[in-house]
Amino acid sequence: MNLISGRIMPDEESKSQLNRLPELILKTHLGEPLSIPRVIDACDSLSLLLNAEDHLDLLVNLGMAKEKARRELATVKLMLSRAYLENRLNAEFGEPLDEPFPPYGYDQPVRKAWRPLGTLLHIAAGNMDALPVFSVLEGLLTGNINILKLPGKDNGLSIALLQQLIHFYPEIAGYVFVFDTPSTDLDAMEAMAECADAIVVWGGDAAISAVRKMTKPNTRIIEWGHKISFAYVSGLDIPDEELDEIAFNICDTNQVLCNSCQGIYLDTDNFEEVVRFARRFLKILNAKAASMPQPEDPYLDAQITLKLTTEELEAPGTEKLVFRAEHCSVIAYEDPTLHPSYRFRNCWVKPLPQGKLLAELLKYKNHLQTVALVCDLEKKAVLERLLSQTCVVRITSGARMSTSYCGMPHDGEYPLRRYMKVVSFED
Amino acid sequence: MNDRLKLFGQRNPYDLTKSQPIFLRLMRDTIHFHRDHCPPYRQMLETAGFHLENLTSEDYLAKIPVIPTLYFKRNRIFSIPEEKLVIKATSSGTKGAQSQVGFDLKSLLTGILMMIRFFSYHHILSLRPTNYIILGYEPSEHTQMGAIKTAYNTTKFAPALHRAYALRDTGTDYELDIEGLTKTLHRYAQQGFPVRFVGFPSHMYFLTNTLKENHIQLKLNRHSKILLGGGWKQFSNEEIDRESFFQLIQETLGIEKTHCFEFFSAVEHPLPYCKCGNGHFHVPIYSRVIIRDVSTLQPVPNGSLGLLSFVSPLVLSMPIASVVTDDLAVLHDGIQCGCGIKTPYFDLLGRAGVSQIQTCTTDAAALLGGKK
Repeated sequence: MNLISGRIMPDEESKSQLNRLPELILKTHLGEPLSIPRVIDACDSLSLLLNAEDHLDLLVNLGMAKEKARRELATVKLMLSRAYLENRLNAEFGEPLDEPFPPYGYDQPVRKAWRPLGTLLHIAAGNMDALPVFSVLEGLLTGNINILKLPGKDNGLSIALLQQLIHFYPEIAGYVFVFDTPSTDLDAMEAMAECADAIVVWGGDAAISAVRKMTKPNTRIIEWGHKISFAYVSGLDIPDEELDEIAFNICDTNQVLCNSCQGIYLDTDNFEEVVRFARRFLKILNAKAASMPQPEDPYLDAQITLKLTTEELEAPGTEKLVFRAEHCSVIAYEDPTLHPSYRFRNCWVKPLPQGKLLAELLKYKNHLQTVALVCDLEKKAVLERLLSQTCVVRITSGARMSTSYCGMPHDGEYPLRRYMKVVSFED
Repeated sequence: MNDRLKLFGQRNPYDLTKSQPIFLRLMRDTIHFHRDHCPPYRQMLETAGFHLENLTSEDYLAKIPVIPTLYFKRNRIFSIPEEKLVIKATSSGTKGAQSQVGFDLKSLLTGILMMIRFFSYHHILSLRPTNYIILGYEPSEHTQMGAIKTAYNTTKFAPALHRAYALRDTGTDYELDIEGLTKTLHRYAQQGFPVRFVGFPSHMYFLTNTLKENHIQLKLNRHSKILLGGGWKQFSNEEIDRESFFQLIQETLGIEKTHCFEFFSAVEHPLPYCKCGNGHFHVPIYSRVIIRDVSTLQPVPNGSLGLLSFVSPLVLSMPIASVVTDDLAVLHDGIQCGCGIKTPYFDLLGRAGVSQIQTCTTDAAALLGGKK
């Protein structure tokens, strides 16, 4: 389904609308600009609409455990609330820029103001539920016109939520164009890109490369690429509680998110220590996994069994050891090379002494994201400094790796700022 | 006559009565050979506590250490020196890593004998000059997928007059050269020789569907055949039921359902499986199928879903006597089929993996800028 100027329409009709897109966008530009307070009002109304009675089952049907669904719903309600959004805008933009001032060494007073980039094309290549809507929302909060290319297997949630927003603030209709076009329809993709001042792309390296290839030099690309996150553990007398938090993140996210813990680096170059730690962590992870059961999936179990069995067969003669428990596994490797885990409660432990941290992690450049840092207080400052010298953008505890807070930078940037420009005015 | 020739040269590939004791003897010989010639395999047998002398009944076959096909994608492992390999192949590699496999002359000749027996039984070997439509790319420099080689080799089952390739390689994708193909098909129809179509079911579906959309109906020679293999791959969302598919083939090409064959094989288990009239893959005498629990890899009873694994003594060059694929399947007693073949049969029920990828964590290939 497609949603153009507030109207749901089938693919054939949306194609002709796509040809008229420059015209429709111009019409929106010529009309009233979007009122940000009213966009916030609409989001707040949507937030009040969400309730456990009506919407919890929706999330549970997507395969979420009830307790997690409750948390997710509460998070979404909070993130759409007026107080949250006002705080967020304030955190990202700070004080308004409106006041004219005399710049140093310049003879003319100047006024600066944040203005929308214009038109954003959102490509949500991944298939995270509701992600396309949040991307468009950020576009609306910054006053932009939004073209949304739906991800391949959209379940209709995006359009339903956007329709609700339009219901609360009808003028949004002119600011939202949703096309259900496959990424393989290059002509359509190019037509959409042609109308956009910036392309917001969510996805893996393949999606990002494809967008970079297709985009003309006069169009900005705002990339939210896939990232990798892990824990760094230093010191041998780490209490179980801290490791329990890492185990919680692994089980709670099943290691599928950018900020999910894929594995644990241990501040040592002794493989024996890595093995001892892996055995210890296996017990903690297994207990946590048992307390957070997930729906049965023979296809997923089969995939993990094949991978772990292959690792076990490879292990003799190499420096790796596979530890399996009923609900999870931990593989100890001697090689510090960063790699994703097998996900779904299967993690790795690798040695990475503080002295080799930079040499190893600088290689991964922009792919790093969150680190759960577990260490003695006296080591904290130096490890924080080393980690922030790499492309790591968040250092936190195991429990909070995948939790966001109001005004939190995303991948090291303020997202809303990226959707705006600073215009300078002189009289 | 030695055991290898007896088993792989038997005329009826589904008659277990004579072959059962030979099969066990050959399995013992083969594992013995790998144990003596492949140190990593010896290690696997020792780790698993497997004792060759206990292999006296078929029940014990499941105890042979089972190696995932993934292992062969990540490791090169041979039981004979690599310079003695006479043929090398890679898995189709539609996605991810490819297996490196190689065969020695003895395994290769046994394999050819087996193929001749197997395909004669299914009336696929023929001496009639035949025109071919290969549902794949014309082999080119940047397409070296095993599937293309397999398709090409399949054109040796009947003498080839001409081979036409249905797909044009655009560099990133393929497109059906419908105009060229229609011309070729009309020419083949006029010439009157049998025509054989070789390739993936998804491509055959794409072809027949396009013919139908263009209102093209042909009546090809009655000895024409459709030889399909390799699953539906990336087109799985377009999969139609088998009967409607054969109906479509009949309508557009005039080829009967009984002349449509579906095969299964794997680079790491290079043995042929062919669907019977009822659409089931019966297990020939050259191998045994064991369905294994998705978590423990222990055998599960017939009728239960699990990982498809094979045991066969065919290959000496690599320790692939017992392998587990990433296909999920169910095994049934042969008599339940009713087609006349009495050996057990399996139904494929999809691949191991995440049903719907929902992830934003970086994958391995991407971590270092696309290089592995």
